[in-house]
Amino acid sequence: MNGSGLAPETRTHLIRSCERIVGPEGVISAPDELRVYECDALTFYHRVMPDLVVLPTSTQQVADVVRLCREAGVPFLPRGAGTGLSGGATPDAGGVMIVLTRMNRILDIDVPSRLATVEAGFINLWLTNAVKRHGLFYAPDPASQQACSIGGNVAENAGGPHCLKYGVTTNHVLGATVVLPDGEVRQLGGKIQDRPGYDLLGVFVGSEGTLGICTEVTVRLLPQPEAVKTLLAVFRTIEEASNAVSGIIARGIIPVAMEMLDREIIKAVEANVKAGYPLDAGAVLLIELDGPRAEIEAEAVGVEATCREHGCIELRVARTDEERALLWKGRKEAAGSVGRITHHYYLQDAVVPRSKLPKILREIGEIGGRYGLIIANVFHAGDGNIHPLICFDLTTPGDLDRAIAAGSEIMKRCIEAGGSVSGEHGIGHEKRDYLPLMYSPADLAAMLRVRAVFDPAGLCNPGKIFPADRPEGHGDRNLQSPAMTAVSDR
Amino acid sequence: MPVATSLTDGLHAIVGADGVFTGPALAEYRLGPATPHAVVFPRDESEVSRLLRLAWEEGLAVVPWGSGGHQSLGYPPSRYDLALNLRRLNRVLEYEPADMTATAQAGIRLADLQRHLESGRQFLPLDPPLASQATLGGILGGNLSGPLRCRYGTARDLVLGIRVAHADGTITKGGAKVVKNVTGYDITKLYLGSHGTLGVILEATFRVYPRPPAEQAWWLSTPELEAAHALAIRILGSHLAPSRVELLDGPAGRACGSPAQGPALFVSIAGVPEAIRAQANDLARMAGEFGSVTTEDPAAPRTWAGLSDFPWLNAERNGKGHGAIWRGGVLPSDCARGMRAIHEASSEWADTAMAASVAHGIVRGTFRAETPEALARSLAASREVLAALGGFLVVLDAPAPVRAQVDVWGPPLDGVGVMQRLKAAFDAKGILNPGRFVGGI
Ligand SMILES: Cc1cc2nc3c(=O)[nH]c(=O)nc-3n(C[C@H](O)[C@H](O)[C@H](O)COP(=O)(O)OP(=O)(O)OC[C@H]3O[C@@H](n4cnc5c(N)ncnc54)[C@H](O)[C@@H]3O)c2cc1C
Repeated sequence: MNGSGLAPETRTHLIRSCERIVGPEGVISAPDELRVYECDALTFYHRVMPDLVVLPTSTQQVADVVRLCREAGVPFLPRGAGTGLSGGATPDAGGVMIVLTRMNRILDIDVPSRLATVEAGFINLWLTNAVKRHGLFYAPDPASQQACSIGGNVAENAGGPHCLKYGVTTNHVLGATVVLPDGEVRQLGGKIQDRPGYDLLGVFVGSEGTLGICTEVTVRLLPQPEAVKTLLAVFRTIEEASNAVSGIIARGIIPVAMEMLDREIIKAVEANVKAGYPLDAGAVLLIELDGPRAEIEAEAVGVEATCREHGCIELRVARTDEERALLWKGRKEAAGSVGRITHHYYLQDAVVPRSKLPKILREIGEIGGRYGLIIANVFHAGDGNIHPLICFDLTTPGDLDRAIAAGSEIMKRCIEAGGSVSGEHGIGHEKRDYLPLMYSPADLAAMLRVRAVFDPAGLCNPGKIFPADRPEGHGDRNLQSPAMTAVSDR
Repeated sequence: MPVATSLTDGLHAIVGADGVFTGPALAEYRLGPATPHAVVFPRDESEVSRLLRLAWEEGLAVVPWGSGGHQSLGYPPSRYDLALNLRRLNRVLEYEPADMTATAQAGIRLADLQRHLESGRQFLPLDPPLASQATLGGILGGNLSGPLRCRYGTARDLVLGIRVAHADGTITKGGAKVVKNVTGYDITKLYLGSHGTLGVILEATFRVYPRPPAEQAWWLSTPELEAAHALAIRILGSHLAPSRVELLDGPAGRACGSPAQGPALFVSIAGVPEAIRAQANDLARMAGEFGSVTTEDPAAPRTWAGLSDFPWLNAERNGKGHGAIWRGGVLPSDCARGMRAIHEASSEWADTAMAASVAHGIVRGTFRAETPEALARSLAASREVLAALGGFLVVLDAPAPVRAQVDVWGPPLDGVGVMQRLKAAFDAKGILNPGRFVGGI
């Protein structure tokens, strides 16, 4: 659908002006071509077509397009590769979509200072590939890293399997060139750290395209570790596997990754790619250690002992790079394999304190049972970041609604357990009405003030993050009252 | 100035008579020319909230106060009615070793929190200057860090969630108590390093780390600063996993216990003993490539306190009459260039001692000079040479006559307009630490 209700002459004016700014080849306005942009990777609900798509090639062009939108009072939103899973890169109701994929150059690699600056449309995996020969890598590695953009990573504060040890995007981004919603270009942070002032970069990271459009990003690179060790531990139950996760952490060992796959996922993966996971297992835990060789050898002994203490029935250690790739293959292909067990699935993302993993997984099982839905789990266990895949069939009436209801129950349980409704996929459109479960009206009011400072006109990616009943987040400003009202619950 | 009785009554009603000091006790709360009318000691967050509500309604300027150790940062407040001492908010609220997270109130001293975390053989890897007295609130408000950031990052990497009292007394939270969280804006980051100008930090939840089983440290000395720096870059780009890599000029090295007279690199490595041994061998080999002599540091734990604190100790030493403490930033690859340029720019007027955390390009040090004018000239000239490298310099402490001649924060940076608008949105009446931060915030 095309929902903005732009007057035809406004639309024509925007198309002409954008063509002047970026050239005719950088503007998409034909309805059949716009359809590509009607959703991100959250495909089964909230499809809305933009009025037009613009593909700029420079910061200046982005700024010019933003200024144009602002003058015309038309909403706009940034989009990277469109792999987001919360509907953030789908228009709320039409408007201009600014797609960064043509801004995909490396601008600078500084090997001695271990920094790289790239344009926002640069693909995540390309970065590690580009700096490999210098013995460096870029740590945040979302499972979508072959496709997703660094700009999208910044906007979603993306994580990945190896973030357990290295941290998420915000821990690796040092600076960004940002076009603010008023069209001004600002440098937030930079190659040189600790400049005095508010940490505007820190609040920009994870703002899901609502505080402006970043066009260039400076990131920290890390030296490749001396050695890597990958282990696969097989457990009879997911409970035992979760206890092993806590046990490893309790020993003072922080693996670089601890990923868990449950029985359903193992079934799907084996049907699809034959990673060699035992079909009778209740869960497999993929554990990776990296660092100085002697350090990880000592840690591996601790990991093995802990897994055995918690009932591990089989332990494999990769001896070669090929074996390591095979152990990872099942994890990497997990989401793609789920098609083997279901027509459709709703991928959820939430976090609990690590020690609450056994409890939440038990509850997810119960919820699935109650709704008559299979819920498969593949997740970043070391961080307590769960990813239940709620299986359903769009052609079965009521199935989608049941899946969404089950998802919502899982979210509530995670919050009760002291967790969060998103660890890495963000709030976007999908979860905006869950936010009040975590934050009081006063907490949200503080965030909305930040929004109002950056985007007083409310034109930059409206309809995202903030609950539908908080219109201040979506362009209607009513933030005059200085005092915030309620006191937050602890 | 006498305190209006009605105000004293209002404060007493909130915190009790023993929670309000006036009179001579206020001397230690003096900032620049200003002394507050009263200092208040709330017992819990609801008292903080009510105190702020009162201040908001009366338009009283409030300075949040931890240990006071770093109150020299920034401009003196433009208005100053109340000091809000948070030292009674000093509890650890939650600590779950298996989750590697802990929540503590802002008034707790870092040293006391560390003692608490010992029970789980964990620690909060922050080593700000004057760590023995510093409180969490002060460390977070100033975003203070030390050499350990080489391995663990800064408060912005370690704080997962925060609870804040706003200017009007409203209490809000940001973030969560889990290690990953993308839910709304990461507003926590705004309060870190905001010097108490956006809200009063009440408590924070941290990611904590296992205490390494062992740690060892070495002094690697070279005749020239540049060689020591090149060695640091080599180490940081290698597979070694050091906890600290500090480049020190001769005077800073001597103040911290370096066996050499000239420049030196200080490196510490933590982990299991066999891994430390293996890395020590590699370290010695790399040092050899740069013609450096490697000496194990026998006094390691004492040394790392010194590495954080030496500018403060040095500034108080006898010698030339006036001292200033500063911090600057350059690219990691420019540390030696920056330090040499500072030396050349200031040596005519001042004695210098400085060190750089090479991994992050943070340089900090002291000047001592005969006159305030000479100090001011050294600071201004050093700021200029760092600016030529794209860097900056902030004056952390200096006598008032020096402050009158050099702007402690330096020239305004990009985005200062956004910062001023944020301040206005969070504290419309300008009652929190008014006038102390960049851009007159
Ligand atoms: C199979 C699969 C696996 C995934 N695995 C992970 C994972 O392991 N970890 C993880 O964190 N995520 C994962 N994701 C989610 C997604 O890949 C990430 O959120 C990613 O960061 C999105 O990047 P993108 O370029 O596709 O952004 P888009 O989807 O295009 O946009 C996402 C959001 O960012 C905003 N945005 C995009 N570009 C910019 C910009 N330049 N400036 C400002 N805002 C911008 C958009 O407005 C939108 O709100 C996965 C997705 C898929 C499909």
